[in-house]
Amino acid sequence: MSLVGTVRKLASRPIPLIGLIIVTAFYGWSLVEGLLQLAGNLVHNPSLGWSLLQSNPFTPSTANSLLPPSFAHPMGTDDLGRDIWVRVLYAAPTDALVSTVVVGGGILVGALIGIPAGYIGGGVEEVNMRFTDLFLAFPALILAVAIEATFGRQLIFAILALIVVWWPSYARLFRAEALRIKNLRFIDAALLSGLSNRAIMTRHMIPSSLNTIVSYATIDLGNSILVYSILCFLGLGIPAPAPEWGAMTSLGLSYFPQWWWYSLLPGVVITVVVMGAALLGDGLRDILSGGA
Amino acid sequence: MGLLGFAIRRAIYSVLLVIGAVVLVFLLTRVAAPNPASLWAGPRAPPSVIHAVALEYHLDQPLYVQLLYYLEEVFTFNFGISPFFKQPIASLVSLYFPRTLELSFFAMVLTVIIGVVSGAFGAAHQDKKGDYAVRGIYLVSWSMPPFLVALLLQFVFAYQWSLLPSSLLADPTMLPPKVVTGFPLIDSLIAGDFAFTASALSHLVLPALALALISFGLITRITRSSMLESLKSDYVRTAMMKGVGTRRSVYVHALKNSLLPVITVIALTFSYVIAGAVVVEEIFGYEGMGYLITQAVYNYDYPTLIGSTIVIVVAVVIINFVADILYAVVDPRIRLGD
Repeated sequence: MSLVGTVRKLASRPIPLIGLIIVTAFYGWSLVEGLLQLAGNLVHNPSLGWSLLQSNPFTPSTANSLLPPSFAHPMGTDDLGRDIWVRVLYAAPTDALVSTVVVGGGILVGALIGIPAGYIGGGVEEVNMRFTDLFLAFPALILAVAIEATFGRQLIFAILALIVVWWPSYARLFRAEALRIKNLRFIDAALLSGLSNRAIMTRHMIPSSLNTIVSYATIDLGNSILVYSILCFLGLGIPAPAPEWGAMTSLGLSYFPQWWWYSLLPGVVITVVVMGAALLGDGLRDILSGGA
Repeated sequence: MGLLGFAIRRAIYSVLLVIGAVVLVFLLTRVAAPNPASLWAGPRAPPSVIHAVALEYHLDQPLYVQLLYYLEEVFTFNFGISPFFKQPIASLVSLYFPRTLELSFFAMVLTVIIGVVSGAFGAAHQDKKGDYAVRGIYLVSWSMPPFLVALLLQFVFAYQWSLLPSSLLADPTMLPPKVVTGFPLIDSLIAGDFAFTASALSHLVLPALALALISFGLITRITRSSMLESLKSDYVRTAMMKGVGTRRSVYVHALKNSLLPVITVIALTFSYVIAGAVVVEEIFGYEGMGYLITQAVYNYDYPTLIGSTIVIVVAVVIINFVADILYAVVDPRIRLGD
């Protein structure tokens, strides 16, 4: 189905529409803000990064510390008097980047392991799927914590650690899809027309699995933000003083419960984005599996 | 294939899985990790300390020698001394792990109850208000990061309403019972210290509920869809036609047969619960494996972190094995399928 057609169908129903709005707002904002931050770094003028925000997300202003939510500060201020909503907005591009790279990386590795397992079968399937089982034996979060802590507490290693725990579910998904697709008539036709196995896997298996993968991956974008925020909550995701949603919650813990907004509201933002992705993914699944 | 044959095959597979997982942890944390010795020595350590760390953990040896040392350590449960706690890691684990198991057990019971009841309720009210309410609730709780669920429960039940204690394992003014099994509740029952049991139980409620709230969605979904299947089946229609009331047909006849698939996801749910415990224990100051892992992370205590990871993997593999056997006992068909 065309992209425009899918979006139109999504927008015609209220619940997927809410998901679509949340996800578009999050990734749209992250793209703009992320490019500004990148440009600011390139020209050595980081203030470009907060040119769209109402205040500087790093400068302390002790006179304003721990103010409750108000019109001036929709999410209140933290212990150093910095506006929490501004910091949430400033942190958004990191979460957007992590989620897309982690889910994209997971899909890539999962396809490499899962499609041959399903299509070729036999020894390849046995080796690939037992290898996958090995990773699934770990609770994902715990393995990610162990990897990131031992690699070093940097964004790049957080992403790597998350990809390591993320691909196995895609390997299973791609294997199941390959098993389903390989019995379809057009694969026989492709074989008869002299296409190699490799060409069948890359040119037919991947496009034919997309419907299933896309809706699953959309839900997963939210899920990866959730797990990344837990890494940051544990102090692993990104070095201070860069703001991050999970890290902000963790900083606010010493001020809980009296100054509750400090730790609770960044968590609410995470919930809204994760829920938006889940609603959109569910809507996509209904539309894409409905044929058309 | 008989049940015994099935059990033996699964047992061999589980042992192989544990060995594989242990080797995987080795490869990821020592081989793939850039420069482990300087990392393990902690930030800004002088070269002499880094060298001492490398010697202590055999990080200067060739890889296969390191692997042999490491396997010997793991399979004798001798993970070495924790640099931060200054205690053998094995004794730290034997102190903290039973507490997390106790918490996870209660969390699992709550998860299954909440999941099954909400799933059955959703199916009985398919596509009506009740169904949407159930779906809405699990969508929200599934989308919440575990630390937010834990903080909200703590905020409402402990700080606003003062119904339950906000943190710790038990009332700190009480003397803990003598350690026999390591499980605080069981030990206090053995010692006959029921006041302590009550205090420990009341401290368990909020963390267990937090863990249940982040993990029940899967069981709700499975129960709901398998209930919908059963409700369409002949025996439920027969029951209704025979005059058994709707409520009884739904919650007794249909539900009983819908519970089978729930067993298959119990092991997976355990995996969620134990991962969630890392964060939830931190918020509730509940000193279990989650506390051990977060302390290890905060204090750059890598041997403890790696030892805890391995212990948790072993536990998850064992639970999976038990769930497989249980499922084979309840549903003999799957023994043939394997």
